Amino acid sequence: VTDDFDPLRQMRPDRIEPDDPGDPAVFTRAKEKFMSAIDQDHHSKTSMTTPDVYPRLAYSDELAAVEYLTRVFQFVENREARMEHDGTYLCWLRLGTGVVMVGHVNTEVHHIHSPREVGLTTVMLNVYVHDIDAHYAHAVSQGADITMELDDAFFGERRYEATDLEGHRWHFGERFDDIRARGGRPPQT
Amino acid sequence: VEEPTDAAVIATSLAEPAAFGSIFDRHATVLHRYLVRRLGPDDADGMVGEVFRIAFEKRRSYDLQRPLARPWLYGIATNLVAKHRRREARRIRATARLAAQRLPALDMAEASDNRLDARDRWARIADAVAALPEPERDALILLVWETLSYEHIADALDIPIGTVRSRINRARNRLRELDFPSGGEQGQDADRPALGGSSRDR
Repeated sequence: VTDDFDPLRQMRPDRIEPDDPGDPAVFTRAKEKFMSAIDQDHHSKTSMTTPDVYPRLAYSDELAAVEYLTRVFQFVENREARMEHDGTYLCWLRLGTGVVMVGHVNTEVHHIHSPREVGLTTVMLNVYVHDIDAHYAHAVSQGADITMELDDAFFGERRYEATDLEGHRWHFGERFDDIRARGGRPPQT
Repeated sequence: VEEPTDAAVIATSLAEPAAFGSIFDRHATVLHRYLVRRLGPDDADGMVGEVFRIAFEKRRSYDLQRPLARPWLYGIATNLVAKHRRREARRIRATARLAAQRLPALDMAEASDNRLDARDRWARIADAVAALPEPERDALILLVWETLSYEHIADALDIPIGTVRSRINRARNRLRELDFPSGGEQGQDADRPALGGSSRDR
């Protein structure tokens, strides 16, 4: 068929250059990201807000850290937000209303290190959870390194601490008031 | 067992969001190719997921009378393309340069300075398409490159079918003007055949 649009038709880019069918991995990644966005939209409307203060944690293997924190401590990654830069990743993980950013150790711009590299832990992350006993039981079942056993603290909190795969220290707790409010077992102290 | 229509899938996805995944499966490659044609592979790779995310968010407003969602998705992708006018113009001009090298001269048998003229012609088509008002370019590309029907173009751009026709006609006239910039002293044009061939003079 020859008509006024024939030249434009011939100029369709994939008729001039060999047609690139598209990298299947591109579709797989796009689909994965899309499904995760759908899922989040479904499960929590509030989860997209970011607190005004939140930490960026440095790991030498940040993807292993994301796997660990989500599996053992039950963080949820906001997959939509994950960014790759020069082969390293920045990820946003949330639990309740809190957010942590997980990234690669950075010696050029931010100068932040993994405790594993420096041999010291300099920060403890405090996390309030719903049903501390269940959270503790899950963490233990997933092989968490418990560095303070679960107990009731005099200041009105049931808590435990764990050290993650690169030495960041996590303090998980639930206030006595919150335990009572959900009809949980009354604290011992 | 018959596959549910796109409309049925979208209706289901109102209560079960994950069902929308099969809309992606059915149309992602075609929409990706469309974005590649207009903007190039780099932009297309990043944008194809965005098309479906926007579609998902807008799914409540989808007209369930339309069994096939592809025109609607073309419309969403077209809105995204509109944000990248300059990149689109660069892309089509680069394509014209390739066309001048690779395609045989078109209807140029009578022209004496064949190659030069051909090169010039592809570049002029590219410039003309890039310079079209966006509504006309969108309709034209959907028709000529994507081979959508007028009805589907109307669905995609959310305009009446008569408007599609008038946009296509205006685009056609602008492309014709390329060959007769003076406005049609036919006698002088024997050595400059119409875009795309001889049919127009009859």
